[in-house]
Amino acid sequence: MTRRNFLRGAAAVSGLTALAASLSPLLELSDFTNVDQFMQKYYKELTPDEMAKVLKRIEGEVQRQYGIRPHVRDYKPMDGVEFVYCLNLTRCIGCRKCVHACVAENNQSRNPEIQYIRVLKLPHGSLDMDKADHNYAPAAVPEPGFFYMPVQCQQCKNPPCVKVCPVHATWQETDGITVIDYSWCIGCRYCEAACPYFARRFNFADPEIPKNRLNPNMSYLGNRPRKRGVMEKCHFCIQRTRAGRYPACVEVCPVGARKFGNILDPESEVSYILREKRIFIQLKEEMGTSPRFFYYFDV
Amino acid sequence: MENLAGKNRGKNGANTNYWLGGIAAAFLGLGAFFLANGRGHAVAQPNIPLVDPKFIATTPWRETYADMVKANEDLSDYDCYGCHERKNPPPIRYDANQKIIIPKEHADIVMAHGAHDRNNLCYNCHNEQNLLTLQVRDGREIKFDNIPQLCGSCHGPTLRDWEAGAHGRTSGYWNRSLGGIQRLSCANCHNPHSPRIPTREPAPGPYPLRGPSPASANPETSP
Repeated sequence: MTRRNFLRGAAAVSGLTALAASLSPLLELSDFTNVDQFMQKYYKELTPDEMAKVLKRIEGEVQRQYGIRPHVRDYKPMDGVEFVYCLNLTRCIGCRKCVHACVAENNQSRNPEIQYIRVLKLPHGSLDMDKADHNYAPAAVPEPGFFYMPVQCQQCKNPPCVKVCPVHATWQETDGITVIDYSWCIGCRYCEAACPYFARRFNFADPEIPKNRLNPNMSYLGNRPRKRGVMEKCHFCIQRTRAGRYPACVEVCPVGARKFGNILDPESEVSYILREKRIFIQLKEEMGTSPRFFYYFDV
Repeated sequence: MENLAGKNRGKNGANTNYWLGGIAAAFLGLGAFFLANGRGHAVAQPNIPLVDPKFIATTPWRETYADMVKANEDLSDYDCYGCHERKNPPPIRYDANQKIIIPKEHADIVMAHGAHDRNNLCYNCHNEQNLLTLQVRDGREIKFDNIPQLCGSCHGPTLRDWEAGAHGRTSGYWNRSLGGIQRLSCANCHNPHSPRIPTREPAPGPYPLRGPSPASANPETSP
């Protein structure tokens, strides 16, 4: 054997070995994509027939995984509707029922835990987020001297997350909801980095949803079960709001601190609040994101 | 080309073949190691208990008299004239410190409506002429299924907000053309005798991706 041949052989063998070693994650691949999923077109390019096929496929997948046949729909935005959220900080007692109602409605992973809403406990007199406590666990709320501020996706009018997505898997719809197409997201987490509100959640592991707590009323852009490696976030319960109903967080809030509606309708609660109340806060206003979330006090 | 066979020695004494063999063996070993350990190790996940369903229930905190009537519940406890005489309203008694004395038959009532015992007279709201109804200070008689008009007679801005849907929870359809809404009455949340909302247990806080759930970690806000 010549030196040259030996070198060729050694390079070939070590290269192949390195290649084999680098392919070892394939050993863990449990849910390799099927052809339909792989060849699915971009959401905005799907014809209604193709969308119907996609929805059926998703229903089948969910049935195979959870044993429950869901109803997956693709809701389109209504005309003349722009959603706005008003949250009354005088009323919020920090009970966190909104957090868990959201989890139940939107089929979020229980372990690892994903929660779209994070309630901050702040001392009276300051909106300094450095003083916020995310993990308060007293025996009873509200505690004297503190107020509670739940934060979720602010559905900004000028969303930084949409700007940074390299594949346009997230965009803002005409009714103001910033949506994510879970089938298009590549999981690069640029949007999570860009969001000033910690609104975006990433599925670091396969989501775990208990079968008996699955919500079978699903929508394509909303609460259909996600897979590992995609982003998700509050979408104003798109499967409810585009059917004319209030989001789950509004429905469960025991003190009525949460108000949701169409700002283009002068008779909605949110129009009333924005007309009548005097003190409004938009979080991190200086970042120029123009959020659709208005925190207010009842004075 | 110089013939090095048999000696494995280059010009400067380098053992080229041994070196090459060694490097190749090292890479092969590394490859084998990666293959064997390439599988991800499952990180021990914390045991996150499922949330108690009481934290996602939408039932109001209190049941009003009107709710009980609608649900055909047993109203024998609320038959005022079962004990009281018509045309003879019961007198309200106060102790030496001007504090109202709650009779033992109504011991479940705690009077705390208004700071400094301002609202310390039952007949401010209850109608002494007809104990089955309520009254407003301007003389109107209010039935028990129309409480907001009584509460709103003093709490005007709150009544305005409530009528617009901004005070208290509204559930159902934001798009009224697609469906109706459910509103709550004042007494569904506020105990009319001590209306301040009592404190209650919060739902558990968030669990991080790894590690145990931290107890209140921010010293500035922990009590």
